[in-house]
Amino acid sequence: MAEQKTITRRDFLRKTAYGALGLTFSSSLHKEKESGAEEKARVILVRDEGAIDSKGRINPEVVQQMLDRGVCELIGEKDPVEAWRGLIRPDDRVGIKSNVWYPLPTPEELESAIVKRVMDVGVPKKNIGIDDRGVLNNPIFKSATALINVRPLRTHHWSGIGGCIKNYIMFVSMPWLYHGNACSPLGSIWGKAIVKGKTRLNILSLLRTQFYNRGPHHFDRRFVSEYRGLLIGKDPVALDAVGARLLQLQRIAYFGEDRALDNPPTHIFVADETYKLGVSDLRRIEVVKLGWMEDSLI
Amino acid sequence: MGRWILAGMIIVSIVMSRSPVLSMEKRKLEMKEIAPLEAEGYRQEGQDEFYDRQTAFRYMDGAAELYRSYGFKLLMVRRYLKTNHPPMVLELFDMGSSEEAFGIFSYQTEEEEVGIGQASDYGGGLLRFWKGRFYVHLYAEKESPSTKRDLLTLGEVISKRMPKEGAKPKLIQCLPREGLSERTIRYFHLHPILNHHYFISHENLLRLNERTDAVLATYRWKQEKTFLLLIQYSDSKEARRAFSRFKKAYLPEAGSSNTIQIENGKWVAVRLYQTYLLIVLDSPSREDGEALIETTYGYLKRREGWLNKRR
Repeated sequence: MAEQKTITRRDFLRKTAYGALGLTFSSSLHKEKESGAEEKARVILVRDEGAIDSKGRINPEVVQQMLDRGVCELIGEKDPVEAWRGLIRPDDRVGIKSNVWYPLPTPEELESAIVKRVMDVGVPKKNIGIDDRGVLNNPIFKSATALINVRPLRTHHWSGIGGCIKNYIMFVSMPWLYHGNACSPLGSIWGKAIVKGKTRLNILSLLRTQFYNRGPHHFDRRFVSEYRGLLIGKDPVALDAVGARLLQLQRIAYFGEDRALDNPPTHIFVADETYKLGVSDLRRIEVVKLGWMEDSLI
Repeated sequence: MGRWILAGMIIVSIVMSRSPVLSMEKRKLEMKEIAPLEAEGYRQEGQDEFYDRQTAFRYMDGAAELYRSYGFKLLMVRRYLKTNHPPMVLELFDMGSSEEAFGIFSYQTEEEEVGIGQASDYGGGLLRFWKGRFYVHLYAEKESPSTKRDLLTLGEVISKRMPKEGAKPKLIQCLPREGLSERTIRYFHLHPILNHHYFISHENLLRLNERTDAVLATYRWKQEKTFLLLIQYSDSKEARRAFSRFKKAYLPEAGSSNTIQIENGKWVAVRLYQTYLLIVLDSPSREDGEALIETTYGYLKRREGWLNKRR
């Protein structure tokens, strides 16, 4: 087995202008993939200015439309129900893996929009579960045949960002065992029987994003952006890579500089290189943009 | 592998117990005494919640790792309510010793010093301060025009109810004062915390562990930032191993030299002295880097007896 190279700050200084984050998404220190040898991952960014009203309320109808537009584009169907039929079968037991972190949970409006389309496909309500911290004991999740992974995008103290990959940490009984080395082992969770091969769709809610935080379990309204978007795709790594880049650009826009995260989001890169979960190299991710794009940054 | 990690965490828990043994019940009683039932119209709401090193994850998920990387013993959470004011949440941490309380406080100090406790930091509806072996995290769930005033008032009441002040880590006394930015002194034990403040490598090149004490300090000369990393190991053999590993992986071209210029044009200098490792990072010149190392070395040498009393 080849000896793994020790990556140091000096490698970052040599290789990239983006510092740690840039390196995270660059394969330059590792075996370079041949250009064009692998197909691009595709993610859909949908934004709508009306997703949040002037009083800060999320508009459920607009969110439903955004979800429908994004899923139709992803699947290549015009009708949203037909598009969802490309993801879910009527006999599926569907676990919607949400996120309940109280300052910035998965919006209920988005959960409801997903449930509606899953039911439209023909899945009875009794076969649909929404859960976060209780997934290991939830009968729907224990016997799920399909998972939909949905959570808000935010910075995270230990893992750099909280995105799609990180959202499955509740599928293990001792989450803290995955916090080492900036949570780089997170991708391994996706190989566990309870989730392996079951994820049909990943959604990062960008309705509100937290682009910076100070220390663990801290939420600061100053660093929350009403971005009013959804990022939708099948590849969790590609979604997280684009999400991490968006948060970086939001920090630059807010602070006038890229303030370092508590930890670089190494786990995204590792999920690609080690666990083969998807594509982390931004050069190999196609972002399809739909709707309102003012200050989209991407 | 999971079992090894678990075993490691248990060892960390044992080694971190440097303070006199206090029963959990005594700690709880003391914390309840410190937190007022009522202040400035705010009243306690609901039952206090307590979390120890094992259960803290239930309250704050992975964020508990940070507190566990210090000597964290017990967390008390209390909510306060006042009519027409946003609720406040008090998180009172018993860190086991004043050094560890200072350490967790030093993790993040980029906001305003508001003169509460032995040092404080206020910004965005969050007040943090430390005093004695306690660390306080007090925040409002929403912001209102009175939020800052209310938080500072409640914080002041809590601080006054804390029994006594405590000492900062001894290593800090060995930092040269000229150019030192006091608010940027970080005290810690583990490699992830160093990487948070100054990323060196994904690997633990410096062999930091629960038995090492480390201080990272920032110096500002002519608008340029230079970092001094001072680490005390449990024995000289361990310090020597860390020195060798660091030189091999971080300064592979250095050979017998202990000062080299790196890719950003800045200088890195390193020195081993008994159980101590001294590293200067991002120095603007060879001379500045070596001078900072030399001054620190002098302080260590003069204060060696005093420094080693603890061990």
